[in-house]
Amino acid sequence: MNNIRVIVCMSILSASAFGSDQVPGRMPDGPVAIVGVTVHPISGPVIENGTILFEAGKITAVGNEVQVPDNAQTIKGKKLHAFPGLFEPYSRLGLVEINAVRASNDYNETGLLNPNVRANVSINPDSELFPVTRSNGVLFTMSVPSGGRIAGQGSILRLDGWTYEDMTVVPGATLVASIHDDDDVVQMRDFLEECRRYQHAREANSETRHDVRYESMIPVLEKTLPIIVHADRWEDINRVVAFARDEDLKLIVFGGYDAPDCAELLKKHKVPVILSSVHRKPLYRHESYDAAYTLPKRLADLGIPFAISGYERSSSYNVRNLPYHAATAAAFGLSEEQALRAITLSPAEILGVADRIGSLETGKEATLFLATGSPLEADTQIKRAWIAGKPVDLSNKQTMLYKKYQQKYRE
Amino acid sequence: MRTHLCALFLGLVCCSSYDFLSAGDSSTRHVEGLHRHLPEVFALTEVRIVHEPGRVTESGTVVVRDGKITAAGADVEIPKDAEVLALSGKTIFPGLIDSYGEVSLSGSNTRPPTAYWNEQIRGEFSVRSDLKRDQLAAPEFRKLGFVARLIASQNGILRGQSAVYSLGTEELAQLLLRDEVALTGELTIPRRNGDRDQYPNSPMGAVALARQAMYDAIWYRDAHRAVEVDPSLRLPEKNATLAALVKSLDGGRPVMLEAANELFAMRADDYAREFGLDLIIVGSGNEYRRLAEIAKSQRPIVVPVNFPKAPNVATPESARSVSLESLMHWDLAPENLAKLHEAGVEVLLTCHRLGDRSQFLKNLRIAVKRGFPADAALAALTTVPAKRFQLAEQLGSVSPGKLASFLVTDGDLFAKKTKIVETWVAGERFEHEDDDAVKVQGDWKLTLRGVPRNAKKILLLNITGEDKLKAKVRPHETLPKFEKAVELKTISREGSRLSGQFLADEFGVKGVAVFSVVLEEEASEWLGTLTWPDGTNSPFVMTSNEDQSSKEKDAEKAGDDSQADENSEEQKDDSEDEKDKEFQQRTQASSFAVNSPLGAFGRDALPEAPKAVAFVGGTIWTSGPEGTIKGGTVLVEDGKIVAVGKQVDIPEGTLQIDVTGKHVSPGLIDCHSHIASDGGINESAQAITAEVRIGDFIDCDDIDIYWQLAGGLTTSNILHGSANPIGGQNQVIKMRWGGNFDDLKFEAAPQGIKFALGENVKQSNWGDDHTTRYPQTRMGVEQIMRDELLEAQEYAARREAWAKNRRGLPVRRDLELDAMAEVLAGDRWIHCHSYRQDEILALIRTLDEFGITIGSFQHILEGYKVADAMAKHGATGSSFSDWWAYKVEVQDAIPFNGAIMFRQGIAVSFNSDDGELGRRMNQEAAKAMKYGKVPAEEALKFVTLNPAIQLRIDQYVGSLEPGKHADLAIWSGSPLSNLSRCEQTWIDGRKYFDASEEQQQRKQFAEMRNTLIQKILDTRAEMLKDGEENVDESSLWPRHDEFCHTHDGHGHGH
Repeated sequence: MNNIRVIVCMSILSASAFGSDQVPGRMPDGPVAIVGVTVHPISGPVIENGTILFEAGKITAVGNEVQVPDNAQTIKGKKLHAFPGLFEPYSRLGLVEINAVRASNDYNETGLLNPNVRANVSINPDSELFPVTRSNGVLFTMSVPSGGRIAGQGSILRLDGWTYEDMTVVPGATLVASIHDDDDVVQMRDFLEECRRYQHAREANSETRHDVRYESMIPVLEKTLPIIVHADRWEDINRVVAFARDEDLKLIVFGGYDAPDCAELLKKHKVPVILSSVHRKPLYRHESYDAAYTLPKRLADLGIPFAISGYERSSSYNVRNLPYHAATAAAFGLSEEQALRAITLSPAEILGVADRIGSLETGKEATLFLATGSPLEADTQIKRAWIAGKPVDLSNKQTMLYKKYQQKYRE
Repeated sequence: MRTHLCALFLGLVCCSSYDFLSAGDSSTRHVEGLHRHLPEVFALTEVRIVHEPGRVTESGTVVVRDGKITAAGADVEIPKDAEVLALSGKTIFPGLIDSYGEVSLSGSNTRPPTAYWNEQIRGEFSVRSDLKRDQLAAPEFRKLGFVARLIASQNGILRGQSAVYSLGTEELAQLLLRDEVALTGELTIPRRNGDRDQYPNSPMGAVALARQAMYDAIWYRDAHRAVEVDPSLRLPEKNATLAALVKSLDGGRPVMLEAANELFAMRADDYAREFGLDLIIVGSGNEYRRLAEIAKSQRPIVVPVNFPKAPNVATPESARSVSLESLMHWDLAPENLAKLHEAGVEVLLTCHRLGDRSQFLKNLRIAVKRGFPADAALAALTTVPAKRFQLAEQLGSVSPGKLASFLVTDGDLFAKKTKIVETWVAGERFEHEDDDAVKVQGDWKLTLRGVPRNAKKILLLNITGEDKLKAKVRPHETLPKFEKAVELKTISREGSRLSGQFLADEFGVKGVAVFSVVLEEEASEWLGTLTWPDGTNSPFVMTSNEDQSSKEKDAEKAGDDSQADENSEEQKDDSEDEKDKEFQQRTQASSFAVNSPLGAFGRDALPEAPKAVAFVGGTIWTSGPEGTIKGGTVLVEDGKIVAVGKQVDIPEGTLQIDVTGKHVSPGLIDCHSHIASDGGINESAQAITAEVRIGDFIDCDDIDIYWQLAGGLTTSNILHGSANPIGGQNQVIKMRWGGNFDDLKFEAAPQGIKFALGENVKQSNWGDDHTTRYPQTRMGVEQIMRDELLEAQEYAARREAWAKNRRGLPVRRDLELDAMAEVLAGDRWIHCHSYRQDEILALIRTLDEFGITIGSFQHILEGYKVADAMAKHGATGSSFSDWWAYKVEVQDAIPFNGAIMFRQGIAVSFNSDDGELGRRMNQEAAKAMKYGKVPAEEALKFVTLNPAIQLRIDQYVGSLEPGKHADLAIWSGSPLSNLSRCEQTWIDGRKYFDASEEQQQRKQFAEMRNTLIQKILDTRAEMLKDGEENVDESSLWPRHDEFCHTHDGHGHGH
């Protein structure tokens, strides 16, 4: 903690410089043990007075009876709660700094078909938005491009690192596509037809001339890269599910407002849903004021796999408020456990990385935080965090300005 | 065969007169060549005469002479010189008047040199100066029974002077029945006005401009009067526009204002009352939604007879998005006229806004079936407009002295099958083609003479089709019928001539044969000529073959072709039946009563106000000196809090509400919102628009009101946007969902105005076309504020001086400077959008110079940098809890801002500036605890007491203290927990929201939807197609600021 103070003092001097002042964490030399903490593994029941042991970026033990090695750096977690890093499954973090300044926007490539572009290569690790976001426990995101019929590939990121490569968990996790009407379906089918022709030719003849667009679509055709499509209304969800079935693609629905109406279809075709927001108005005037608030509960009851995003409220600068979306879902029917799962393990499962992140389990990446209570409550303070085993500087530009101006009024 | 010659137009009225000794001239036109004097005397006899609503002569005579009715009644002597038209079985009704129609007149764009400065104010323009005859659409209207139309110009806000025209065929000069009948207009910006830089660019701005124009007219009148009294005064300007507007002041020339929905109608009434205008509202058909208020205005209303098509409920998916509101509107719209009539509203009728005018009578008949009395319907088309437009001497009834403008029907005008047979316009007779006129459809036999060798002598012709004729021809001897039938290439009818062409190969001569035949009235055979491809002309006789044809039908099973024919006949009959059925079904009474606002979650009445109500046993967050009371009671009487505490005596008869285990907080207050307004939010076409008022456009139907109410919000400050340094006047509302827009206004709240600083006002993010409006820098922003305050200071002094001694020309009332003078006088509070510390400080210094204390800084994201200066000035800060990074000036925004300002003694609030966020302001307050550790009770005050202080309404609301309004919210847990739900919301001691009751309402509204969807499906009502919408006039204008910029890719600019 002393370290952090020093950094804060130093950085005030350079507050106006571009790039955040927070220094990425260093890998601890030996194992780290957090003891006496209430562990919320998400994958299992809450462990009171538990221990979390991790080393070289991986969790090595979690439980009540963990043997803490002698060489371990021990952190007392009394009165604190440990959670896996929260995971915003759909954002623009790192692709935009100041919305109103065009030069700082890197999320929308020109043209209709950009399956080949990947978000992670234009992530600015020095974005001021990363430290602000992770200071509230949001330690993962999938950052996605937008625009056109195929916007590009979303990348799963951990929110600390010197380079985008340090930060990248999965460079291409999903293909972001737009299908709003039947014409889009036709256009998309035509494109897939071309992709298949290319795939076939490429397999048959290695000297087939290259095409980066078609090449990037092969994992989609092979169903190793899911497409994620924004669809809220009943008919729109029906349309994209039918499209994905007909074309034999792996689909994730983003938005999902009318998903309960399509429950059987979604379940039959095993299509998960990422809710684009809990904090949104009813889509239809005649619906109840809390229709969006109760949606997670209704999906849970129907057995549709889902995760919660905060994208519709903020795609970048207030991604930190992700837990409050889950909180409102909990206020309107979801259990707190389910709510937390929807912003940790569920997005990891839907995006295919649950073997590596999303819960506090042995073998998983040590990305976690300690808090004074549930992250669902606003007055909870986030005290410590680690990303892939490295301690995270939880200060940010805002805390620095806070400290700076407290000086003014002390005089 | 019943045939008689059908001519569309028989009579011709000229300026001649029979009784030349007693006749003057009606025209100055020079007659070239021979004079023409066709006698124009008619006696329509043996006819039923409906003189006017309620006065009928069962069998009588109407005498028409030279365009006028000279006698009408039972015992009328038929003039010897009259042409007698026996009309037994027919009925004469007074001619119909279309009380409002718009035409686009390019002439209105040519402004005279003495016109008003703003081209949207066109009082000087007269329809008469530019109207072309074909714009009257007289033939179409005559067919519908209309004899006169009021014509208004389409362009502008105050659009100029309308005129009533007769629908005859004479010169316009002769048709103009009354000029300058009324000033017309619409209190919103012209539709599809895409020019952002032209003032006004918002509906709010349009009302402000129309209001200013009328005040300018008052000044103009007074200034010129002053000069008459004292010619030594400086001459005021000559202004043709204002001179014309003066005529409408104080109950002068009527003013007709279009009202796109019932709210616009009420706004038009407000406007008219301000200037004592004689207002006629041009309505929308939605008036039934706010019937009581509309009736109370006592304004006559010109009502369109357009009914919406049924929403598309053909599939579950399409039905999903159909609102109860649109379903109810479909169900209720045909009862609008009946309801207006019943409420005592004076109704006039128009074809305006009717997509297909031919539906006018059909729709009106439905309205009559739905309870609009036939006499009232007739009056609304005759006597009422005649009186309103001061044409009662000429029109409105069938009586001597009036214009011979009437219609002849074959029955009761509002009976379903009645046809309008003739329309007479000022003595001109127009007969209308109807189904009984010469009929060419059917089977015919053509017997030819002198045919070429091998050619057929007898042809059989079958003609079908309504407007567009179709025909087949075949040789006589072919069996089965039409096996060798040939489709005619063309068949058409022009007046009394029928002609056609067909390929004659099957008939013995290769090539195309052409023929024509003269249709004669009441003849058993028609004569014609057929020219064969070889040039041979064969005269022929055309006779009916119906008998033969039906025999054939009996004798044989018809071939495929004829079967198809018969099928299509059947289909036609079916569709007739279908139409019939739809008519019957559309005349079914509505299923549900009108609620407010119409549709889901609308109310039948405002919530009850219990005399006394006590909330007992909860954790009471008072936001007052009492702090938080566990196990406390709040006692309310007559809408006010009378006691709060642990020990409260509850009088007998008090309604007790057990809130054990619950939390009670003051109703939440949002100090910065843009919901519940449909006036555009930003009037951004000028740097200063202090004259603009949000209060003119409170939209009491905005569902956001209800949704925010459900989050415990009871009071909201509806602000103008931040597009200019000095924006419009704000309106504080209470969330009295179900009330009208006046009900929503927080009456006791002092007036305010929006100021704004920084990027938005200097147009930083408006694009490259916006780089010249002053100011473009924060330097200029500071100066324009100062300059405007100095101007207002001088203005106030000049007004005061003139009011005292009344010498010289009057000082023009300037609504912009009025508002600024109120700011200077401390009667209007500034709420200023602000971000950076330099601009904040600069404004504080400017205001200090004028002795003004600011009401609140809004956003104030760098308030933490100058909190000491703010505190010293007495400023308050209404901030976002945690927004930042969406533009350059918010890079230093921090969520600790609220805490720092709070610790400097500033009243701090967190606001929403966002319709969605406004639903959970309690969660926003909780962030003050997170960022800067503001104590819980103080954090709650960020959304209760502190915004009340900022709006200077803290003596009424903001805390639970005796004497204050009983505005409160009941929570399932701590209001500062994200896991709590608002369970009830009370305003003025009335329960406006109850989550458990809502569960019931959901069911009820869902059932209403189902009932109406069933009704649509059951009656096979015509539905909107995919992508088709009923045009909602009120949605053609920006409800919100369409020019705003997005932050974060969503929402509007802040």
